[in-house]
Amino acid sequence: MILISFDIDGTLTVGDPPGILPMEMVRAVKEQGCLVGSCSDRPISAQRAIWASHNIEVDFTVSKHMLPDVKAEFAADVYYHIGDREDLDRRPALEAGFEFLWPHEAVEMPWVEGT
Amino acid sequence: MTENAPASMYRTDEGMGLWEHRGKVAAVGVGHSPTARRWDGRAETCVGAISLIALRRAIEDAGVDPAEIDGLVMDPVTTTGAYWPKDKPVPPEVVGAFNSTDNPLDGIAGLSAEWILKNMPELTGIDFTMYGPGCMSNAICVAAQAVGDGLTHTCLVLKSWHNYEGRYYQGGANAGSDLPGTAALHALWGTPACYGTALQFAEYCRKYGKNHDMMAPFIENSRQNGLKFPEGYWASHRPEEITPEDYKAARWIAKPANLFDNDLPIMVSAAYLYTTAERARNMRQKPVYILNHAASNTRPRSLTPTLDEVEADTARTARKIYEGAGITAADLSFENMYDGFAQFHQFHIEGLGYRGMKFGEALDFYQTDISIHGPNPILPSGGNIGCGRSRFWMHTDSIQQIQERAGERQVTGVKPEIAVSGGPMPLGGRFTVWSATPD
Repeated sequence: MILISFDIDGTLTVGDPPGILPMEMVRAVKEQGCLVGSCSDRPISAQRAIWASHNIEVDFTVSKHMLPDVKAEFAADVYYHIGDREDLDRRPALEAGFEFLWPHEAVEMPWVEGT
Repeated sequence: MTENAPASMYRTDEGMGLWEHRGKVAAVGVGHSPTARRWDGRAETCVGAISLIALRRAIEDAGVDPAEIDGLVMDPVTTTGAYWPKDKPVPPEVVGAFNSTDNPLDGIAGLSAEWILKNMPELTGIDFTMYGPGCMSNAICVAAQAVGDGLTHTCLVLKSWHNYEGRYYQGGANAGSDLPGTAALHALWGTPACYGTALQFAEYCRKYGKNHDMMAPFIENSRQNGLKFPEGYWASHRPEEITPEDYKAARWIAKPANLFDNDLPIMVSAAYLYTTAERARNMRQKPVYILNHAASNTRPRSLTPTLDEVEADTARTARKIYEGAGITAADLSFENMYDGFAQFHQFHIEGLGYRGMKFGEALDFYQTDISIHGPNPILPSGGNIGCGRSRFWMHTDSIQQIQERAGERQVTGVKPEIAVSGGPMPLGGRFTVWSATPD
């Protein structure tokens, strides 16, 4: 099982600023059976609204500092966090025991193939 | 060259009595630019360009012939934390799109009165310009005094903000290795900007037995009000509420201040048209009379004011506000004190004694009906939390509420007759008392 946490702003195309990862990619990854969700500074209610507006049923929506909670709640073989900030994404992801990917690295991952 | 207003134009002392121009100066027109999270590099969206939009909208709103305007008061500084990188070229196509001054960053990273006048040829009658540096709270005090003193009879007041890519407060001199004096302790080796307020709030919670979660209704209410402010950033771009759950789940910036206790830097400009009470009566909008303006020049004993110093000064400020306006706390229809950082709003309103509030009671008050539809509206503008970092939503809202054209945001639980707005910080703020009538 693969768990993938997405930052929103600067990472997803719906972000502010927009990132490079389209929502279609998230949808495809989810359909492949990955556990998927968002970890963002957006209010949790706003994260839920974004996913709902794109008809993507995610497994978690958490605030930026809550990756450890995600890891505690979901059993997976590997945990990824994808984000665009060293201080708010990469560093805390590594501290939480996640693998970290910049958005341009994420699009090269095998679980993105065909999306 | 335009000069900063002299200290004598601010009413900083207690015991000055009624303001000599009480009810003789009025705000009439309001103009706002569109907002943006950051500058996109185009000429038509630079801070100068959006300022021209705001000014022209204020003139139009007031229904005044631009040639009749004889004064301009503004803040030449358009940021507190977004700096043009030293080695970054100034885009010539942006400079060239306007009539420039000697400073190539004028209109891009700052704003002079000279730049404004060079780019608003319709303002043919300006013979008074002055800076009220700091924020709109300062500029409107200077404008009110200037109109009252007869230095100008029809005066535009302007405050604009730019924001660039990158983190706020992290660039400019703050990115270097040395700064002079105590600035080094704050900006170079120091803490997040909200740290001082967080420290005061921590002491406040300890002293009065309160906690951070008790702020949630205030934050929720502020954002709800802000989402009813069509000129605001959140209403325009990201209509996101902040529920109590959202607020309590946010990460700490400087515990006990979290992400949503801080505001979001944006690009925005606002302008008002001030005039004499006599002239205001013939303009397009209902006059909102200025009953007083007041200022705090108190300096803390150390780097960060203590809670004791804050409480002493907000109480002192309130005495000045009420004395000059000839009113008491009971006369306030609503309050629009500053909120950027959210955790000092309660210091302001406790100092005011709003609705009989005493020190230590605001967070309990927040658990009651503080909405625009109740009898005790708190920050109907939504402030910076509701609309983005500008330090002027509370002034615009006070004017629009009293003019009864605040739209969805209009207070309905009280009759909007007298209001107070101002800031920024509890120590060092500038404040205005607004009224539907001149006396």
